[in-house]
Amino acid sequence: MASVPALEALPGLRVVASPEALDAVAWDERAVVLRFAPDDAFAIGVTGIDITDEHAIVAEETGFVGAWLTVDEFTEHVIPHVEWPLPDARPALGQGFIAGVPAKLWLTGDRALLICAASYAHELAERLR
Amino acid sequence: MTGAVRIVVDGHPIPYEAGDSVAVAVLRSGEHPHHGGTVCLAGDCGNCVAEVDGVTYVRTCQTPARPGLVVRRHPVVGAPQLQVPPQVDLTHPPLAPRIPVHRAEADVVVIGAGDSGTAAATKARRQGRRVTVLDAGDGMEVVAIYAGPTVIVRTPDGMLHIHARDVVVATGAAELQPVCPGNSLVGLVTARAAQQLHTAGVDLGVAVAIGSAPSGVPCTPVPGRLLRIEGDGTVSGVVTADDDGKGGERTTPCTTVILGLGRAARDGLSRMAKDLPVTVVGPAAEAFPLPACPTAGTVCPCSSVSVDDLESVWSRGFRELELVKRASLAGTGTCQGSVCLPYVRAFIAQRAGGIPDPFTARPASRQITLAEAAAGVHVDAFRRTPLHDEHIAMGARMDRFGGWWRPWHYGDHVAEYWAVREAVSLGDVSTLGKLVVSGADAVELLERLYPARVADIRVGRSRYALLLNERGHLIDDGMICREAESRFVLTFTSAGAENAEMWVRDWVETWGLRVHVMDRTMSLAAINVTGPLAGQLLERVGLATQPRFLQHVHGEVAGVPCHVMRLSFTGEVSFELHHSVDRSVELWRALMSHGRDLGIAPHGLQALQGLRLEKGNVIVGMDSELDSTPRRLGMDWAVKMEKADFLGRSALARTAELADDRRLVGLTMPGNAPTEGSPIWSEGEVVGHVASSFTSPVLGHAVMLGWLKRAPFPDRVEVDGRSASVVRPPFYDPDGIRARA
Repeated sequence: MASVPALEALPGLRVVASPEALDAVAWDERAVVLRFAPDDAFAIGVTGIDITDEHAIVAEETGFVGAWLTVDEFTEHVIPHVEWPLPDARPALGQGFIAGVPAKLWLTGDRALLICAASYAHELAERLR
Repeated sequence: MTGAVRIVVDGHPIPYEAGDSVAVAVLRSGEHPHHGGTVCLAGDCGNCVAEVDGVTYVRTCQTPARPGLVVRRHPVVGAPQLQVPPQVDLTHPPLAPRIPVHRAEADVVVIGAGDSGTAAATKARRQGRRVTVLDAGDGMEVVAIYAGPTVIVRTPDGMLHIHARDVVVATGAAELQPVCPGNSLVGLVTARAAQQLHTAGVDLGVAVAIGSAPSGVPCTPVPGRLLRIEGDGTVSGVVTADDDGKGGERTTPCTTVILGLGRAARDGLSRMAKDLPVTVVGPAAEAFPLPACPTAGTVCPCSSVSVDDLESVWSRGFRELELVKRASLAGTGTCQGSVCLPYVRAFIAQRAGGIPDPFTARPASRQITLAEAAAGVHVDAFRRTPLHDEHIAMGARMDRFGGWWRPWHYGDHVAEYWAVREAVSLGDVSTLGKLVVSGADAVELLERLYPARVADIRVGRSRYALLLNERGHLIDDGMICREAESRFVLTFTSAGAENAEMWVRDWVETWGLRVHVMDRTMSLAAINVTGPLAGQLLERVGLATQPRFLQHVHGEVAGVPCHVMRLSFTGEVSFELHHSVDRSVELWRALMSHGRDLGIAPHGLQALQGLRLEKGNVIVGMDSELDSTPRRLGMDWAVKMEKADFLGRSALARTAELADDRRLVGLTMPGNAPTEGSPIWSEGEVVGHVASSFTSPVLGHAVMLGWLKRAPFPDRVEVDGRSASVVRPPFYDPDGIRARA
């Protein structure tokens, strides 16, 4: 395998709200919704939501890039650079430094989504090359 | 393989036998790998270190011989020459080969595969736990245990980092080496080393044994207490005396002295792992008796520390083990105290009356190369704004500031400066910190966080604010923009954004306020459109309703949705256009295109720093110091002490009663600006230093911000050998007419 697939823009919706309100959101079944924190969600590909929290901060998010990796790609190119224990459950979100760059992993049964802020994309791509 | 394969030692090929380490091969040839000193062949001392294949300080007893290996012994006196690659460009990665890092996990890591280690591993496996056993004899040498615990292993294939739940240290015990006159001669081996050499078929010559003699090794036991070892470079005899001191000295001729003097726990790893889930078993956990207090000879062969040196340190008042170590350097060498620590403890015990605990152990327990130590360590990642490639294409010289790559200039910072002052210019300020706070308690939060008033900021308005810590010291600054009754956008400095975000979140949680916080720093880009023609440019690109000074609006600029903030850091009309990062290039290009006939040019940080300095605008961290209060900065106007409370208020009230003996002031002088950091003189004494300086094109003289640290503050000072006036900034457009135009 040559290298990690190119990191592409991951537009979506960023929502910061009370955990209860976020829990109650009826997300599109096809959407990948990453809970960065109990009060912080990033819904990839989503453009709008109904949420009960009147003070929720809902913003279009274009600040993340990512790449879907096969198990082989993930094992060969990413795992050697992960300095923290990967979660056992699937699906699962992992967050931490990868090759010294702040990044996130969305791990499903057969794929992994590698995510980082667009401003770090060049550094991460270069270090995983 | 006998005789067929050779290593090269000091330029001479020598044969070795299958299974030989480099040290054994060298000893087999009749030489000593380090010109002298006791050989342990267990990796515990520095008496066999040499340069191996270009790497210095390699323990040759732990290095298997292989065909063509090039060994250079270290010089007899002094340190070996370190290899320094001819590297001239520090911005490029190091030239050293990259050491791979492998990572693994285990329930239990057992260090040492001897009897106690094997027993511990067996027990853990029976409990159903995943066990990893590491033994230096198998090439898996543990050099450190960090928090986690994380076990760092040097392997033939690189470094191995193992995250474990529990660690068992079963590293056994090291043999004591002699401390007496003559202990640096060639011909001294420990009992276990003698056995190893004998098994390998190395001729030990006329061997005598002091202490416990190794079984099966031909040697003559010599009873009594070791006094000294005699010889001229090589051992010729050993001098002993009866333990009771009667009967005088006895000299026994020999060519090899085998030393069975006792043992000391090999506990360096366990000592560096205090407070971690680490268990020590077997001899490594034993409290062996200390040797007799040394009276003469080299105590620490790695750092060449003698008993006389210890006496000197002691006589100068260094009476604790850690202090004796630091003052004498005993224990700071390649073996990290494995050889000398028992003797230094004995030395102190005899004088102080109690046995001191061993000194602190820190990674690495065994010498490793810098490349091995740095394996898996990354340099800081620097972020790029979405306009990075645009800057490069426009000839920018990029540099690192506050965690970002930013344009320092585009080739002519003076031309960039004039574009701001006389026409219109673009600056990439995407790096600014940007937080959205929203919630029923948002006003309460900000009133407590900031010394500025917040409740009276109207929707659509903004206010400059300082961010102070509890001691009233400036930690950041920025704008507070009110979006709605319970929603605000906060901006922070580029370098301070991460800390400010943590600061805000921490206080929200500490105070238990109902506020949501979203960090938009890396989601939104920002372009500062500044200059007297900025409004004209924005009109051309569709911003019909332009905010007035300190107002902000949402609108489309060149078709790109923007949050437009009207403020000024440069001293000219300025609009910050905050927008999604994916639209930034499009917006930048549209602005550049529509501003061409207006004389538009981008400006870098070099021009910006001069522009803001003419206005007396402070850069946090450049002009401010860690304990700068608003009063010292001349920014009392930004603090509303009449507010009931805010972070730092009580400290400011208290320090207001103290003498005002430190102040950031404006300075002007004819000619070019002196170097930043230059001392400020008054009446022949240094009274401060220059924090920022700039040769102002528009004013035609130097302007500075500088610290005066002695009251009463003079009106005139000397900087760079020239007279300078102390003035009140801003230096340019003091009434702010241009920024508000």
